[in-house]
Amino acid sequence: MTNLERQFAQTVAEHKSTIYTVCYMFSQDADEVNDLFQEVLVNLWKGFENFEHRSDIKTWIYRVALNTCISIDRKKKRRSAETRLTMDINLFEDRDEDTKQVGMLHKRISKLQPFDRAIVLLWLENLSYEEIGQIVGITAKNVSVRLFRIREQLKQMSHD
Amino acid sequence: MNNDFQNTQNDLELESMRQQMTTLKNKLNQQEIVNDHLMRHSMKKTVSDINRTYIWLIVIGLLMVPYGYWAFVKLTGFSMAFWIGTSILMLVCAGATYYNKTRVKDANLMTNNLVDVSRRMARAKKFDADWLFFGIPAIILWLGWFAYESYLIAGNIEQNWLMYGGIIGGIIGAICGFSIHFKTQRQYQDIIDQIEDLTAEN
Repeated sequence: MTNLERQFAQTVAEHKSTIYTVCYMFSQDADEVNDLFQEVLVNLWKGFENFEHRSDIKTWIYRVALNTCISIDRKKKRRSAETRLTMDINLFEDRDEDTKQVGMLHKRISKLQPFDRAIVLLWLENLSYEEIGQIVGITAKNVSVRLFRIREQLKQMSHD
Repeated sequence: MNNDFQNTQNDLELESMRQQMTTLKNKLNQQEIVNDHLMRHSMKKTVSDINRTYIWLIVIGLLMVPYGYWAFVKLTGFSMAFWIGTSILMLVCAGATYYNKTRVKDANLMTNNLVDVSRRMARAKKFDADWLFFGIPAIILWLGWFAYESYLIAGNIEQNWLMYGGIIGGIIGAICGFSIHFKTQRQYQDIIDQIEDLTAEN
């Protein structure tokens, strides 16, 4: 492994749960999570060499992960299983209490539009409005307006 | 009083979502990436998969030049002008498709923010749509030229099997081309709709 590849592997290991969370919230089944996870890693690797560390690496990872999950062609051919990089967990099938809780979160978030899904996901990760705005490309004020509407939507969902 | 109650309900709702998020993070933090040792191999393979699509476009465009010479000039006896026209058309088509795909897929694209990415998609959609204003007349002209060249060889319309074959091929090609075009336009439109939804608040 070259030095760059070692650095990349370390970065992915440190942020694997962030990447996986984004992929999970934009997927409908376990195969789709794995495909997205793989695709995000490829896009991260493509940009890793040119990443200039002017912004926080976590912000950059969010951007790449969200862009990939929103833009990807879902009908594209599945990647071959032998080279698949993923985690040995199926949040769509495990049936313990924690997974049920996580499933409830997934159910709520997946009902939102992709941009709203991205914003609420970043908010749940405790990012500031400014950081969320930088990632999705809108002002902090618009983030707060957007989040207010999302809360209203979520409230409506819980009443339905 | 009622508002206070609703705010409390909202806070509880969001607080429970935050707790669920923490549960998810805790579960994921216990996991290791499977097939870690395949990372290097996989990255190289997948990146080359993406590049292969672009290379194919160029290769097909370039191959049409010698293939066209063999098929049109040597095999069927069409004019050199027809072969040169066909070659230029194929190279322009392949070049334009490549240009548009690289705008959507380049390595920096994924690192831009969502709105910038979506705007680039909108530009790509417009380029794709505008392309038809050149593409359709060009193909009609080319088919007309093809029919004329085959007429010169056959000498009459009734026996001009080459022209009938060309027309059938042209219709099949047009159906495939339009279905790909409209599918791509639909995909672009989904993203543009989301942008409009966002910018409406700005």
